[in-house]
Amino acid sequence: MSSISELYDVSWEEMRDKLRKWREENFRNSEQIVDVGEELINEHASKLGDDIWIIYEQVMIAALDCSRDDLAWSCLQELKRQFPDSHRVKRLAGMRLEALERYEDANKLYDSILQDDPTNTAARKRKISILRAQGKSSEAIRELNEYLEQFVGDQEAWHELSELYINEHDYAKAAFCLEELMMTNPHNHLYCEQYAEVKYTQGGLENLELARKYFAQALKLNNRNMRALFGLYMSASHIAASPKVSAKVKKDNVKYAAWATSQISRAYQMAGRGKKENKCSVKAVEEMLESMQITMS
Amino acid sequence: MSLKLTTQAYCKMLLHAAKYPHCAVNGLLVAEKHKKKDSPRDSVLCVDCVPLFHGALALAPMLEVALTLKSRLIRPGNIFPVFNCPILIDAWCKENKYVIAGYYQANERIKEARPNQVAEKVAARISENFSEAAMIMWKCREPSTDCFEDWIEAQKITAALLESKSYESLVDFDNHLDDLRNDWTNPEINKSVLHLC
Repeated sequence: MSSISELYDVSWEEMRDKLRKWREENFRNSEQIVDVGEELINEHASKLGDDIWIIYEQVMIAALDCSRDDLAWSCLQELKRQFPDSHRVKRLAGMRLEALERYEDANKLYDSILQDDPTNTAARKRKISILRAQGKSSEAIRELNEYLEQFVGDQEAWHELSELYINEHDYAKAAFCLEELMMTNPHNHLYCEQYAEVKYTQGGLENLELARKYFAQALKLNNRNMRALFGLYMSASHIAASPKVSAKVKKDNVKYAAWATSQISRAYQMAGRGKKENKCSVKAVEEMLESMQITMS
Repeated sequence: MSLKLTTQAYCKMLLHAAKYPHCAVNGLLVAEKHKKKDSPRDSVLCVDCVPLFHGALALAPMLEVALTLKSRLIRPGNIFPVFNCPILIDAWCKENKYVIAGYYQANERIKEARPNQVAEKVAARISENFSEAAMIMWKCREPSTDCFEDWIEAQKITAALLESKSYESLVDFDNHLDDLRNDWTNPEINKSVLHLC
């Protein structure tokens, strides 16, 4: 079986840089990380310098994702040898126990870290992840709320909480979490758009209007966000179709929906460029435009 | 009334789950439109599947964009207010003379195979338009071989596709929304399945 460097004609430096990029952007492409990382470790360890330790950590976590306990174990051993008393390495050992579904043992490990260092956020978050893995959603939510009271700036935690609430269909609380995220990241179009989706799902005229506004805001921040564009179309259409709105609101929303449709159509035209597979989508959008023109009058 | 899956439908469902092992995934199943409208079918053959989303399945707007549903009044608390408008998947169905016949979902946790609120609502909507609709929830056990048109072929081809990591190129509706050039009908994978048959 040929190596990654042969298959893709890359140097070890390029492989190392790719790993760094994936690390910095928090990608979960575990199979690729294992393939690239394993080769880097096996063939080029001596050239990596101090980078090797963080690569061991990254590859270990990816290996757990791919059920490669052999690789995870060997990475862990190297790290234990180099950093014998480290809490960071202990946490990795805990993650390995989690992967083996030995949750009791993992919890004991994390508790011992917390006894030593009660402010260790990583260990606390792992304990919450265990609750999630065990399907104990309400407990996970409770613990995460308690955690956030202390560590109110932890964005990863706010996002995790919003996900948990969405899965429990508690959209009001999910919206609250996303509001926190939007406040601290006003230029992030993804939070805006997700907030709008939650509002839309909550339903009701007021929420639909809010949804439409936030879809529009997301578009302002990134005019290529297709979900925001579709969301704008859907929310404006619903508002226009509602019997509770005034004629003016109806007219305005029909206009917004028509604008959204033309933008969607344009986006499909640009993406399709006459490709056969996209003709279906283009045709569908054209029909949408036609139906909008009928309702506008 | 039994449900059967073709190899293509089964493979794409499986590849969808394999591509996102850490997420919940869902999608639609399509069957060919029944020629004899008055006589009921004895079995429904799902010929293809449309992988929809991965990750947060419980949000309404993109799901509505993916489906076509009859118009209804907006009610407070109604999780899926809908609008009468043919969009995308429906257009593709019409062109290929398919009808949306079912829904599949694989939850985030392999041990949790109960349908949740989303699954039930989608299945209810689908069954409004197609009375013999089916819902498939993924479990970690071997499926019963009756629901396959050809179980041996399905197993063989799925194994080959998983081996070659074909799931990396599977496109779901989420991928399509990320980049419109991504084709959720997955013609390349369909070709691979045909090629291996």
